[in-house]
Order: sequence, then structure tokens, then C-alpha cells
Amino acid sequence: MENFTENILVFATNIKTENDKKKIIDALNGHSEIDDWNIDQEDIDCVLRIVSKTVSEEQIIKLIGRHDFECIPLE
Amino acid sequence: MRIRDTNKEEIVKQKAIEMLVKLGIEGFGMNRLAKESGVSVATLYIYYTDKDDLIKKIGIEIGQSFFSEMVKDFSAAMPFKEGLRKQWENRARFALKHPLHVACWELLSHSSYRDYLLQESLTEFKIIMGDFFKNAVSKKELLPVSVEVFWSVAYGPLYSLLRFENEGKNFGGGPFKLTQAITEETFELVLKALTP
Repeated sequence: MENFTENILVFATNIKTENDKKKIIDALNGHSEIDDWNIDQEDIDCVLRIVSKTVSEEQIIKLIGRHDFECIPLE
Repeated sequence: MRIRDTNKEEIVKQKAIEMLVKLGIEGFGMNRLAKESGVSVATLYIYYTDKDDLIKKIGIEIGQSFFSEMVKDFSAAMPFKEGLRKQWENRARFALKHPLHVACWELLSHSSYRDYLLQESLTEFKIIMGDFFKNAVSKKELLPVSVEVFWSVAYGPLYSLLRFENEGKNFGGGPFKLTQAITEETFELVLKALTP
């Protein structure tokens, strides 16, 4: 059985600390096309998870890059 | 758009339970889980937002499956002896059928997830068991002991026997099998202790 989920984008980042996270919170919270997001900072890849129907991987990479963090799509 | 595959999701859940039991909450990680389940890290993060979310979802699922097994053919209005016997049957069946789930539940219910999981999956069960206990006391079929004493005497012996069964060994190192006769013998002793 298979079903479609909402569009979820997943990235490996170097957003490692709470302080790092603070630097990107406003940009992600304020983005009208992002429905939800979180970072798993317990994970080695500090996985950034974005829920959005319209945002592209490139847009997220650019957005995170603007704050001097790495952001690589996970396959 | 990514596709959600339910089979894969089941494999991930089963692996996660195995790894939690083996490595504990601290030692458990999403990357390793992805590797061991044969899914990509990205896939794992489609199912769960993070490690915390995964542990909560798995804990709730185990709690709910435990709950639905425990209330099978059971009601709080049952005579005490009959109801307790049913609890023994249901608990033994679940523990023997799902030893890993039980081990995982033990682990999570002694962690910081305890309150969350009890609240989310066992609230209804606690009410039913509380009513069973109160009914039995008011019908004078059960001694008015505290809930902790009741639980320890009522189920402690069963869980000890189940441990012997899981290990398959008796104290002498010889084989152990939890037979109907042994269960019955123990159950009668428990009844003797708990009934007025």
C-alpha cells in the first residue's frame, strides 16, 4: 500500500548548536511558503526538514547559505 | 513528491524497536537506523520529524497494542478471580508474542518519555484497571491494599515466571517451560494472598 505525503524536503546541514539555530529561525518562520520545519540537532547530519508544497530545494539552499551554513539535499 | 511506502515503514519500526532495546535511547540514532533498515536518511525523515518524534510514535503504538490485548474479553465488572485470570492470560500472551515490544516498552516507560506515553496510550486502560480494582475491593473480593502492593502481588509472580520462560532455564540451569500447571499453581497462591 502506498500513499502520497505532503511535500517534504530533507537536508544535511551544519546547523549544530542552539545558537546556530537562532540565526535561521526568523528566516524559516517568516517564509510564507514554508508550512512547517524542524532541525534534528541530535542527528549527525543536523537534518533540516521542510514541509512545503511550493518551495524548491534550491530556494532552501540559498536561504540557509545566506546565513553561512551548509545545506545539502539528502537523497 | 516522495512516495510513502508502508512496508518500508513497518521495517523501520521493527528495526527501531530492536535498536532501542539493544542500544538504549542515548545510543540510538536516526542515521544508523536508516542504514540498518535499508532506507535513506531522507526517507526516514519523511516518516518522522526527528528522533524524539520517532520514539514517541513507536512508544504510543506499543502502548496501544498492549492496551488492546489487555482489555480483550475483560471488563471492570468481572468477578475478581475471573478478571485477574483474564489479565494473566492476556499479559502472558502479549509478553510471549512480543518480547521485544515488551522490552522496548520497559525501557521507554522508565525514561523521560514515561509521562507522555502513559498519558497518550494508557489513560483509558488505567481507568478500566482502576475500576476493576475498586469494584473488587467494594465487593470484598480483594483486600484493600494500595495499588502498588496490589500490582506487585498480582502481576509480579507472573512476570517472574515469564522471565524464566524467556530464558528457558530454571535456577539449576536445566530447562524451564511455563506450563499450565505451573501458572495455575502460582495463580492460586496469588489469589490466596489477595483475597480476604
